[in-house]
Amino acid sequence: MIKAVCIINNHGKPRLAKFYQSVESEALQQTVIRRIYQQVAQRDDTFCNYLEGIVPELGDNVKLIYRHYATLYFVFAVDSQESDLGILDLIQVFVESLDKCFENVCELDLIFHSDRVHYCLDEIVMGGMVLETNIGAILQSIKDQTKLHKDSLSKADANESSSAIRERIGTEQSTWQYNW
Amino acid sequence: MATGGVNLSKEFFELLKAIGESKSKQEEDRIIAKEVVRLKQKLETPQSGGMGSPAATNQLLTSKKRAKEFLVRLLYVEMLGHDGSFGYIKAVEMAASSSLFHKRTGYLVCSACLSPEHEFRFMLVNQMQRDLQSSNVLEICGGVLAATALITEDMVPAVSGEVMKLIAHDSDTVRKKVIIALHRFHQLAPETVTREDLVEKLRKVLCDRDPSVMGSSLNVIEALAAEDATVFKDLIPSLVSILKQIGEHRLPSDYDYHRVPAPWIQMKIVRILGIVGKADAAASSGMYEILMDCMTKADVGVNAGYAVVYECVKTIATIYPNPKLLDAAGEAISRFIRSRSHNLKYLGVTGLAMIVEGNPQYAAQHQLVVMDCLEDPDETLQRKTLDLLYRMTNPVNVEFITERILEFLRGSTDLFLKNVLTKRVCSVAERYAPNNAWYIRTITQLFEVSGDMVKQEVAQNLMTLIAEGTGDSEEADMLLRQNAVELYVGLLRDKPGTATKLPRILLETIAWVLGEYGYLSAVCTLDDVLKELCALASVKARLPNSTRKFMLSAVFKLVSQAGTCPPHAATVIDEYTRSKDTDLQQRCLEFQTLLTTAPQILSQVFPVDASAEDLAVDPNLSFLNGYVQQAIANGARPYEKPEDDDDDDDFMDESATNKGSGFKMTPYEKPQTPAAAMAAMRGMGGATPSMPGVSLPPGAGYGASTAPVQANTGAPGAVQLNTRNVANVWGKPQAAAAAPAPPPPAATSNAFASPGASSFGASSTGTNPYLAAAGMSSAPAPPPEPPKTAEQLEKERKAAALFGGMIPGAAPPPPAPASAMSAAAARAAASGATPVAAPAPPPPPAPAPAVEIDLLDMSAWDTPAPAPPPAAAGIDIFAAAPLPAAAPAAPPQVETVSDDEEEAPAGGLAAPAAPAPVPPPNPIDNLDPFAAEGLLGDVQDAPLASLSMGTQKFEFNGVPLGPLEITTAQFGQQWGSCPAVAPLEVQSSKVTTLNAFMDVCSNVGAYKVESIVSTNEGICAGMIGGTHVVLIHGKVSPGGMGAKLNVTVKSTDPSVTGPLAMYMQTLLR
Repeated sequence: MIKAVCIINNHGKPRLAKFYQSVESEALQQTVIRRIYQQVAQRDDTFCNYLEGIVPELGDNVKLIYRHYATLYFVFAVDSQESDLGILDLIQVFVESLDKCFENVCELDLIFHSDRVHYCLDEIVMGGMVLETNIGAILQSIKDQTKLHKDSLSKADANESSSAIRERIGTEQSTWQYNW
Repeated sequence: MATGGVNLSKEFFELLKAIGESKSKQEEDRIIAKEVVRLKQKLETPQSGGMGSPAATNQLLTSKKRAKEFLVRLLYVEMLGHDGSFGYIKAVEMAASSSLFHKRTGYLVCSACLSPEHEFRFMLVNQMQRDLQSSNVLEICGGVLAATALITEDMVPAVSGEVMKLIAHDSDTVRKKVIIALHRFHQLAPETVTREDLVEKLRKVLCDRDPSVMGSSLNVIEALAAEDATVFKDLIPSLVSILKQIGEHRLPSDYDYHRVPAPWIQMKIVRILGIVGKADAAASSGMYEILMDCMTKADVGVNAGYAVVYECVKTIATIYPNPKLLDAAGEAISRFIRSRSHNLKYLGVTGLAMIVEGNPQYAAQHQLVVMDCLEDPDETLQRKTLDLLYRMTNPVNVEFITERILEFLRGSTDLFLKNVLTKRVCSVAERYAPNNAWYIRTITQLFEVSGDMVKQEVAQNLMTLIAEGTGDSEEADMLLRQNAVELYVGLLRDKPGTATKLPRILLETIAWVLGEYGYLSAVCTLDDVLKELCALASVKARLPNSTRKFMLSAVFKLVSQAGTCPPHAATVIDEYTRSKDTDLQQRCLEFQTLLTTAPQILSQVFPVDASAEDLAVDPNLSFLNGYVQQAIANGARPYEKPEDDDDDDDFMDESATNKGSGFKMTPYEKPQTPAAAMAAMRGMGGATPSMPGVSLPPGAGYGASTAPVQANTGAPGAVQLNTRNVANVWGKPQAAAAAPAPPPPAATSNAFASPGASSFGASSTGTNPYLAAAGMSSAPAPPPEPPKTAEQLEKERKAAALFGGMIPGAAPPPPAPASAMSAAAARAAASGATPVAAPAPPPPPAPAPAVEIDLLDMSAWDTPAPAPPPAAAGIDIFAAAPLPAAAPAAPPQVETVSDDEEEAPAGGLAAPAAPAPVPPPNPIDNLDPFAAEGLLGDVQDAPLASLSMGTQKFEFNGVPLGPLEITTAQFGQQWGSCPAVAPLEVQSSKVTTLNAFMDVCSNVGAYKVESIVSTNEGICAGMIGGTHVVLIHGKVSPGGMGAKLNVTVKSTDPSVTGPLAMYMQTLLR
């Protein structure tokens, strides 16, 4: 299970913090973020991208898997049920999705559109489980939502547009069949 | 109004900019506080103009933008750790908005900010229900997402029905989310969304036509399988087939990631295979081929591929082993470990640690790389490598590895890591120590670097080892002691003035060793040693009182050895006579009195090198006879024995005539004071084995040799207040033994109550009072708990001897049944760990048959006769090894009385009559309850006439075994207090899973207390006829054909364990 996802910049400012396992209080969340940053920031970029046993607040055997991009650290806190390398690639997928979503994502995008970052993450991870790993599918969902958002802003009657979208989605369903 | 939107954005921009530029946390706090004020103001101003105004559409837009931005800013404030609760209501309001755009923002803020028990969560239930029923796919998705993030246990029933229905929804986006939502519900409220429901849904969803739905279901399957894999075993063929199709690129190409087809789905499936195939040869065999295939295909040189390969390696390490796959895994690991990428190195080291325990040959080729990893500046890698080293430790490399770990410990400041490593050093040192001198050096170093993180029992163990030596030759032991003394003297001299900063545990050990064996030093005189100790013990030093007591005891011993008290020692002792600690004060006063009034007996009070000697104690207090006679002559009333008090002889007669139920099943009493007192005297460090001029009645020997046992068995009851099922075998006879020579309680009380001078003064008639009084107050008493380590060490040493060298496949099972008695004797001889109470092989004549049996006769398990259980019970009444675990465990007790207990007698309580207020330390309590496993080696492997595995309950003398419903904690308590043990090891092809084992136990009639899936262990409890408690512990591990079962049957009645163990063996085989 993924326990938490954080994006922290080089100076330790959180840009996104999502906890899938309720961490008791706000203060504790801040401790977790700070502790993650302290540990991650000291590490050389050539080091491996794993850190163990430093956030007891999230439970035993929680491992941090992180990636460092220019000014940001993307940190996933996971338990033993997740694959070490798999999560590393998942972070890459997340970043690529953001990049497509914002067209050359930069830190400012994440600040000004933190809600969209959340929606993007929601398409990848849900309730601590990996929901989708296919970039195409992730982007499609986000696109649908954005479209709907725009529609709902421009039209007073949101329902009408959403039903139109639903129809569109309905026709796009995968026609690919399996035989297992 | 038209510019409102722009202004707001500007405000937001300014805020972010200010925060970005803030230099300190305080500044940031100020900025946020301002922002909070601003947001609050906004909340209070009306949201939009009145309806029907000309600019209505425009305003709607602005206000929606404003509202959304308001929430985003709120989110930001919360993310920085400030309270935004004033705006939560706005978020709830937004979630109910008709616009999806706002709804999602509302839900988002709610799920990020509301604490789990926040009342607003309930306000959202209605809205979620509406969304779940919506016709709009995105609304449904929003609803499912919100439900997953926001639902609490109480709310599950309100939405679970709707969500269940959605599993059949047309849209794959909905289905894949629903399955995860259902899992969440199951975690929160397992009775609403039951495991069965979920499993059934999962089976359907696994065959979903959309790969991403299948992919998300795999997560849930893995999570459920990790709890209990049995229901998923039949999915193996489906999973294998899916994996195969993915490998053949049958999925659409957009599932490829860096040319690897659907790597995450592959990983998940491989992981699930690992879980369901664990310890299951049949299940595992179905996946060998696909794993090999998958591993080969994924190896295309990109990370995603390595990820799949790595998962395959992990699975191969967990499932039932296959040599070919292991080789392939070894190969993959070796490529990882040699890779330049740190990530792959990390995986390589982790993977190697996984397979190395069973297959050490894979580690051999990587020695140099592993060493490099250890030197690597990356701490994560270092830690993993230490972990690997720990797992590959063997008698050959133990010195090197321990040195490395100690080195790391010296440099590390991470408490958590230090703790783990400390335990590991103890463990490998005990298991693999090449010789005792090395062990002493290593543990001393460990004390230095880890200080009080080391468990007290390790120090205890060390002292026991030094005191008792190996038992091989007296010269070797003396050399060992001398080495230890030199080591410690050196330590003290290296750190003039700062020695008191050494960790407490080390100081105490040093004090004890120097006190006992200081005279052995070749580099310095006894007086020098004494000087060092006095310097340490001087009042100015900052030391805990317990450490001071160690120091002073050592000083006392050295002074009595020297025969004179040098001035520096006299000063220190004198200073402590004014100590605030009354115990310390008393010890010093007593010693001073001894020194001045009767220096000639000092050598008896503090005998040289006698800490490991047995101590004869006269529980009848016959030395008081004269006093008693005098008191009676003066008109005191003689002691009258209570009517209902069982006599020792009666007890034995009864058991002889009525074999079936000869053992008393009434609860233990609290341990009697004599036990504590005796233990205290032993703790003292020695005494003359037998008292001149004191005749010992038969009961005396009995009392003396059972004292530790009694302390052991009696204590759990006393500590846990759970005395119900603890037989009173030892408690009462003790009192009875005291009866024949009845000293009036008052008289005894007097003798003991007068501390110090008076008791010494009165003592010219015999030596006992000295011993008693001195022993009580000045035991050098390293605190308790040695038995565990002593025994464990012993066991582990044996294991090392057997399995040593790590040569694969060359681990013969311990040769079992010679006579268990000789095994016990061998154990006693093999190391110094057991000596004192392990009774001398020629058993003392007559007095206490029960004792002999307990300690020596463990022969029942040599040859389990295939006789029907009840008959065996009749025959083997005493044979079933009532105390095999307790007996070897007892001796270290000798030095283990903590200072506290000495207060009891000194405080004026009559030793035999008063129940001890402080229970003696309880070694059994510290014993690993499962440590008794295999103590007696294998059971004979001859096939027995198999009984059908029906639902026959076990019967003992016609009384069936009934379930005893207790909790695991209670089980643990009772485990320690059940004297009779019968371990058995069965190779079974019939009972291969934990559940099957538990079922067998249940069929036998026992209650399933708990099955621990993670370790494959289970515990059950039963009761026969309301008196005999029966406890069963079993561990299922893969081996040979089927599974290996290690079962331990314990009972309060030794005559039950044997037959039941045999009965179970037949059922299990």
